[in-house]
Amino acid sequence: MNGLHIMQKKLTSLICQLAVLALATGTAEAHAQLQSASPTVGATVAAAPAQLTLTFSERLERGYSRAEVRGPGGRVDAGVTISGNVMRVGLKHLAPGTYQVDWRVLSVDTHKTEGSYSFTVGK
Amino acid sequence: MTMHILRVAGLTGAFVLLHATAAGAHCFIGGRFFPATLNVDDPCVADELSLPTVTTFRDGGDPSTREVDISGEFSKRITSTFGISVAGTWTHLRPRGEPSVNGFQNIETTFKTQFYTNAPHEFVLSAALSVEWGGTGSKSVGADSFSTLTPTVYFGKGFGDLPAGFGALRAFSLTGQIGYAVPTQSQSLTGEIDPDTGLAVSAPNPQFLQFGTTLQYSLPYLKASVVDLGLPEFANQLIPLVEFNLQTPIANASGSDAVTTGTVNPGIIWVGGKYQIGAEAIIPINRASGSGPGAIAQLHIYLDDLFPTTLGRPLLGE
Repeated sequence: MNGLHIMQKKLTSLICQLAVLALATGTAEAHAQLQSASPTVGATVAAAPAQLTLTFSERLERGYSRAEVRGPGGRVDAGVTISGNVMRVGLKHLAPGTYQVDWRVLSVDTHKTEGSYSFTVGK
Repeated sequence: MTMHILRVAGLTGAFVLLHATAAGAHCFIGGRFFPATLNVDDPCVADELSLPTVTTFRDGGDPSTREVDISGEFSKRITSTFGISVAGTWTHLRPRGEPSVNGFQNIETTFKTQFYTNAPHEFVLSAALSVEWGGTGSKSVGADSFSTLTPTVYFGKGFGDLPAGFGALRAFSLTGQIGYAVPTQSQSLTGEIDPDTGLAVSAPNPQFLQFGTTLQYSLPYLKASVVDLGLPEFANQLIPLVEFNLQTPIANASGSDAVTTGTVNPGIIWVGGKYQIGAEAIIPINRASGSGPGAIAQLHIYLDDLFPTTLGRPLLGE
């Protein structure tokens, strides 16, 4: 067995140990993904909601997570509160129309994620 | 020849350094997540580990040989936009009517930069120089004695920026790569002796154009950005996709037996919070690409999620 083969075996062993270590470590956080929303992503609701609720897969950093809601008449969001992995966005009175939600969050392990979706308030 | 290769490498390196811009951890571009695909490399730099990737297929020889590859790749960000990966493959060959052969392929190192990111349009571009280090693998499984340099450009494009009227089509995305493989030796000895001249026979080492693309349909994106259909959570973590790979000899191919080869790989990736699992069929596009369908499966680990403050962050800067 030459030196290269010994090196390759050692490298393989190292990578395998890294994989086992990685899979055995279950406590770390991950990127915060939108798990559910109310009103639901893409939904049409009959009555104008007073609040938007976004639930994420990870806990959020309060000072670095935000959301904006825009409709036919401009911005309608009125303050954000965060508790754990849930973000609540107060809403002004929503006239019938389609509204876009843009969110940008920082999970507690410092990963940034962002996304957007729309919902419609029926006429 | 060597000067030409060094010039290509130098230009790639200069291009890479001049165009570096900000990027995030694994492959999130705006609201789009591009998963690590099994054949075509994803268009981002990241801290990740693909281990194992298991591939089985029958090659294009006549008679064909059953090949099983078990490979691993470790990718590490040096800065937020520049990373290095090291890959190795162990190969098991089972020729018809002959003893099996095992051994390692050459070690491969890739230097990659993510030089353009446009989050609103879910668009990303990267460039890389891959080096297959000749002589680090076993000749018994076909590892070359010479090195090969492959400058490659990668792209990713999500279609979430299409007008709302496109509905569920906005969950589609494309990724791809195009590279040019340049061997560091223009020809190699075949190990045969010409019976007429008594001289060693040599064969050219062709230069190849390599092309790959993936078409993906992201159910996670559909749920979070287009419409929540109320599917079971497991289904909301699936990304069905088709990968297409092609390589064709471009230069120095005269006198060699190199021809255009490629595969079409339909499959699916399940995306979890800290790792993903993918599986695909391998369908050769012609006889030279293989004598029947094969399969590939991969466990891919997001090191930036598992070790966000140590192994999973860039060595320098953010």
